[in-house]
Amino acid sequence: MAAVTYLEAIRQGIWEEMERDSSVFVLGEDVGIYGGAFKLTEGMLERFGEDRVVDTPISESAIVGAAIGAALMGMRPIAEMQFADFISCAFDQITNFAAKCRYRWGAGVPMVIRGPSGGGIHGGPYHSQNPEMHYVHTPGLKVVAPSTVYDAKGLIKAAIRDEDPVVYFEHKFLYRRLKEELPDGDWTVPIGKADIKRAGSDVSVITYGAMVHLALEAAATLANDGIELEVVDLRTLLPLDKERILDSVKKTNKVILLHEDVRTGGMAGELAAIIAEEAFEYLDGPIMRITAPDTPVPYSPPLEEFFLPKTSDIIRVARQLAAY
Amino acid sequence: MPSNVIMPQMGESIFEGTLTKWLKKVGEPVKRDEPLFEISTDKVDSEIPAPASGVLSEIRVNEGETVQINTVVGVISEEGTAASPAPAKAIIKEPSKPQAAQPVPEQPAEESEPEPEPLAAASRSVRSSPLVKRIAREEDVDLAHLEGTGLGGRITKKDILSHLSGRQSAEAPPPDSARPQGSSSDRSLAGSSEVVPMTAMRKSIAEHMLASRRISAHVTTVFEVDLTRIVNIKSQHAQEFLEREGGKLSYMPFFIKTVAGALKEFPVVNASISGTDIVYKKDVNIGVAVALDWGLIVPVVKNADEKSFLGIAKAASSLAERARQKKLAPEDVQGGTFTITNPGVFGSLFGSPIINQPQVAILCIGAITKRPVVINDAIAIRSMAYLTLTFDHRLIDGAVADHFMSSLKKKLEQWDEPLF
Amino acid sequence: MELNQQTLLDMLYYMKLTREIETRIERKLYRQGKIVGGVYVGRGQEAIAVGSCIQLEKDDCICPSHRDMGAFLIRGITPREIFAQYMGRKTGVSKGKEANLHMGDMRRGVVAFVSMLADTIPVAAGIGMTYKMRKQNNVVLCYFGDGATSRGDWHEGLNLASVQKAPVVYICNNNYYAYSTPLEKQMAVKDIAVRGAAYAMPGIVVDGNDAIEVFKATQEAIRLARQGGGPSLLECKTFRMTGHSAHDDVKYVPQELFAEWEKKDPILRLETSLLQQKMVSEDDVKKLAARITREVDEAVAIAENDPFPDPAETLEGVYADQNVEAPLAFAKLFFSQVR
Repeated sequence: MAAVTYLEAIRQGIWEEMERDSSVFVLGEDVGIYGGAFKLTEGMLERFGEDRVVDTPISESAIVGAAIGAALMGMRPIAEMQFADFISCAFDQITNFAAKCRYRWGAGVPMVIRGPSGGGIHGGPYHSQNPEMHYVHTPGLKVVAPSTVYDAKGLIKAAIRDEDPVVYFEHKFLYRRLKEELPDGDWTVPIGKADIKRAGSDVSVITYGAMVHLALEAAATLANDGIELEVVDLRTLLPLDKERILDSVKKTNKVILLHEDVRTGGMAGELAAIIAEEAFEYLDGPIMRITAPDTPVPYSPPLEEFFLPKTSDIIRVARQLAAY
Repeated sequence: MPSNVIMPQMGESIFEGTLTKWLKKVGEPVKRDEPLFEISTDKVDSEIPAPASGVLSEIRVNEGETVQINTVVGVISEEGTAASPAPAKAIIKEPSKPQAAQPVPEQPAEESEPEPEPLAAASRSVRSSPLVKRIAREEDVDLAHLEGTGLGGRITKKDILSHLSGRQSAEAPPPDSARPQGSSSDRSLAGSSEVVPMTAMRKSIAEHMLASRRISAHVTTVFEVDLTRIVNIKSQHAQEFLEREGGKLSYMPFFIKTVAGALKEFPVVNASISGTDIVYKKDVNIGVAVALDWGLIVPVVKNADEKSFLGIAKAASSLAERARQKKLAPEDVQGGTFTITNPGVFGSLFGSPIINQPQVAILCIGAITKRPVVINDAIAIRSMAYLTLTFDHRLIDGAVADHFMSSLKKKLEQWDEPLF
Repeated sequence: MELNQQTLLDMLYYMKLTREIETRIERKLYRQGKIVGGVYVGRGQEAIAVGSCIQLEKDDCICPSHRDMGAFLIRGITPREIFAQYMGRKTGVSKGKEANLHMGDMRRGVVAFVSMLADTIPVAAGIGMTYKMRKQNNVVLCYFGDGATSRGDWHEGLNLASVQKAPVVYICNNNYYAYSTPLEKQMAVKDIAVRGAAYAMPGIVVDGNDAIEVFKATQEAIRLARQGGGPSLLECKTFRMTGHSAHDDVKYVPQELFAEWEKKDPILRLETSLLQQKMVSEDDVKKLAARITREVDEAVAIAENDPFPDPAETLEGVYADQNVEAPLAFAKLFFSQVR
């Protein structure tokens, strides 16, 4: 197969599932005639028809609510949030309805809510957010955030096949910047399993999304100085692959927790608590966090650059930790 | 069965109510769902129906009293039965107790993790880390005696691990002390398995093995040895040995004697590592691994190079006997400079044993079996055995190991020592 | 469905059963401390749920709210299940996980509502869209109160249902009060039905205390929906004869309103009408009352003795695959018996 971009991989995954299972359908703003604001659903309306590629009004709450209704009836809807930032408009439907049906009355809601998250594209506060933790904080949901072309395709397919509501955050910065050749055939990436993107012996960097690539860049530089980073890509934020995370900590004994999301209430805090609780005696240095600061995402390029974690941050902190 | 009449909760935030009026008197018959008393709360005034039929046998809360929700205000007994004696009633506002509607969180089940051993006072004042402290505890290291190369003189993982590899303290299994178990995620789930705590010996073997793997660079080399000569000598002298010494003649003394000789030829195999120093041991103390029902122990034949064959045979059998009877003294298991293990008696052909720290090599003797071999381009049936040497590549290179084994092989194949 | 004698008798039965169960819950079990938490009844509004739901087919669906017990009963949820549910027992429809009428069962076509009322409005649209996708002739009845029509989701849902021509009948129980807020403080329009025009759907005002009028209005809306004509909005005007909940003293409602609406009681009206038309006799009415009392007595007696769920069940049912570590990890800390 020819190489495809991260965005194309997601399209492929959805397309394949729609071919395979007639209960899968897509709904959202501009997904049909326009092919999606980022052209992710391009061609689907022509292939699958209006019934299965539904152009909706601007109604995130109703989009998710309708998807819930369809899922309760046994369909497998994929509700698109044009920018992940707008998912907040559907917060109530997602966290109070979709997430709790199975627990409250044994009813499964096999739906996917997906949208492009993340910054680095000069989008400002409402086109650059990382809203994942609001949903990680909600039992009953699953939350995934792929960092590679392969994982993007594998995880969207797994999400569609999952019996529970999955919130799928695709990183818009990676949409066209990553390109990979993918294997043929029908394959998925399991939800709930982290992935070692780079094995190393000195410092574990636990991260997800676009930051995975920054960590790998930093690792290449640090390797020249004999500091070997192990890069653990969470891939799934809920449920966490605690086993793999702790294995890495027990191996290197030094940890950096890295994410593009803001600091307070971010995934790093949750991971730090788990590591301190369950691997305290394996730590040869303090748990370090590298995150965005506690502000909305600013627009002007020098401000956004200050806001986002950089490779140089990772290199600096890794050196400090290695020498501790 | 008497039924308790309780002050109900009329609203989610309500925690008390005032009983304003009893609609029945004590001794009066009562029908289920019939209005029994009236209450007043912050939100609403209500008529409360009886929860059961019978006779109002007791009134515990009087008109005008304010009590907490779920307080028993009265008792309805079956006609003709007496009520049970009333316990003291709770009228006063107590500090908020959990409401019946909310489940009371259970106390954690009894702590199944044993208390970690308190750290030695000296190590507490030394800067290190949780990991280093744990290793220090497990390996019985006093951190106060270590130099730290980390930030601010901190003792790092590297520091303590290199200290351990050079340590001259007892090769014996570390002293038995309570060690913290692994994190809760290691613990096996009940249900389809049985959880049995380790014995002290098993714990110390486990720790020693793991530590050894961490410390040494384990490499293994295998040699095939023709033991026909020794097999013949043994069978020829078995009877005589039994009569003279009162014990069975075994293969082990042959091996111990030859190994002792080889170690004198290659002192580096009899050494140990201390930081970046090589410590050459003058004594050749050869430990022999003994498998017991309850574990594994390595008693040591001291100064094997100075003993005669007979001396070695006596020492070895005496140690084995004492091991089986749990009568070994500490000096019996201390001071070893090399170890021999003999799984051949159980049928193993060759193995990859773990070095007994702080030694740098271990010899594994496989089963002696008759095999067809080629000698001078003809096939002969010979008693063959595989000898495996696992050595620490930090100190011993492959060539050295192979030379050592070559020499050992030659000595064994050409045994010509007197037995007596 | 034909509005014949059997249908009318069934309607009377379900309305009376609803009234009896709710009375038992609100005025007895709750005050006896056997039900804890919130209790909400639909006294005086029984005709709305019953008159509409009675005519559904098996594969139709309902999205009821907290004052629609009659609809639950018609769909096959039994009195015993209802009492067990209210008393938090394992045999309740939600197995103790949820309270009062917050329950559902897709096998019986009942969607469990959430407390964020109006959330079900777009959900109903989605169910209707599914019927369309599958080319089924079915409809979904979506119930809500006047209060819910102020929420964003209500408007988003009606809008989506109308533009997608989803086969939904949106049924408003306008009982005039949202907790303590009367209608004129909730909206500037006099009739909620006018909002139908905003979404190009029929908006019909109905006497919510007249079971037959409710039946006929719903029948028309269902016919329209099954034909592919899209959703309708029925505003059933009625009055809330109780507080918002069982612990509400309702001092904010002028007492004369209660007296006025008591006279228009829906059960009384239907019964009187049937007696006058000689579809039932006084004796039939007595027998019906006795039958209902017996059924409810039995249901209470069984449900009262049903077991509570095991505390460890707190951690079950979050995900389809309970191998997910998160909820179970917590169990291992506190419950040694949890596998």
